[in-house]
Amino acid sequence: MPSSIVFDDELVALLPRLRRFAYALSRTPADADDLTQATVERALRSRGQWQPGTRLDSWLYRIMRNLWIDTVRARGRKDKVEAPAAEADRLGEDPREAMDASVDLARMMAAMQRLPDEQREVVALILVEGFGYRETAEMLGVPIGTVSSRLVRGRTALLDLVGV
Amino acid sequence: MVSDETFFAWLDGELGPGEAAGVAAEVEADPELAAKAERHRALQARLTQAFGVVADARVPEQLSAAAQPAEAEVIDFAAAKGSRATRWRAVPQWAALAATLAVGVFVGTMVPQRRDAPVAVEGGQLYAASALDRALDAQLASAPSGPVRIGLTFRDRSGAICRTFTEPAQSGLACRSGDRWQLRGLFAAPDGQGGNYRMAAGMDPGLAALVDTTMAGEPFDGAREKAARDTGWR
Repeated sequence: MPSSIVFDDELVALLPRLRRFAYALSRTPADADDLTQATVERALRSRGQWQPGTRLDSWLYRIMRNLWIDTVRARGRKDKVEAPAAEADRLGEDPREAMDASVDLARMMAAMQRLPDEQREVVALILVEGFGYRETAEMLGVPIGTVSSRLVRGRTALLDLVGV
Repeated sequence: MVSDETFFAWLDGELGPGEAAGVAAEVEADPELAAKAERHRALQARLTQAFGVVADARVPEQLSAAAQPAEAEVIDFAAAKGSRATRWRAVPQWAALAATLAVGVFVGTMVPQRRDAPVAVEGGQLYAASALDRALDAQLASAPSGPVRIGLTFRDRSGAICRTFTEPAQSGLACRSGDRWQLRGLFAAPDGQGGNYRMAAGMDPGLAALVDTTMAGEPFDGAREKAARDTGWR
């Protein structure tokens, strides 16, 4: 089967997962959908760089992650300091009231935002997306021990925030 | 006492069987560790459920539309003789469909059947005709002449000889079928490049991918290309 078929079919099939990853990284659903859109556009422009036979999902996640890092950096420090204060109130609510799934999504997105970027991406890739430690280390280009220690800190902080 | 890293690696199923059994025994013997495992399993479940809503939701229209590659466009070869190719909105996965009967029928309804059209439709398949057919038959990559340039020549997995070609507004792949050249794919030149020939190095990514999956072995060198021509592309 020509690799272009594989590419197009898999890209479409991967959209729900990519979008989920974007939600785990982003502050708002609108930001998440913008990020997904930008990822798809970048992937189509760079499709010649994807090696047929290698995993398309990891390649796409890497593109999304890099685009996200770019936005985070571009947004700068100002925004970053102000955002948590606004979200602190919401996080104080009792999570057990969150019967509605979309409410819980908003709450979990807010909690993820409280994590440092490097912990958030690891939590998103492993606990939300279900990648293994090694795959995650390869995608992020860091040693597996770094992934493991960021994951410990990230999930511990997240548990404190949402209080399961 | 098991380290946090090891504890969570166990929880995430990242440990080998031997090591995992050791941690499992330790967790079982320690109520505090067992409770911690429970809390983190619950956190994992909650994350999965909360973000699962996104993955289960219908993908917004705008996003699915963005994933249908706009550059994968079907080209009207005959109209391309003018200043700029007339383009149709993409059939998604055009390259994918190129090898199928369906696309031949689809394109066939759009390609005007002019006497000098470089594409002929027969039995639902697309074949090179007129100038394109002559170039594929006679022209060597090393000796370009006329509006069509030949790129790579190689055999596909079935043993048929295939050749890539470039015209000012599009490029494509044709493979030998009987005594004719059957088109396997056509790709539009990006906007603004319509007037320039692109060399093999600048091959359209879609065409490059198609070549990649079509080619068995190495592309022909000049001598092999010439020998293949002289023996009728058998």
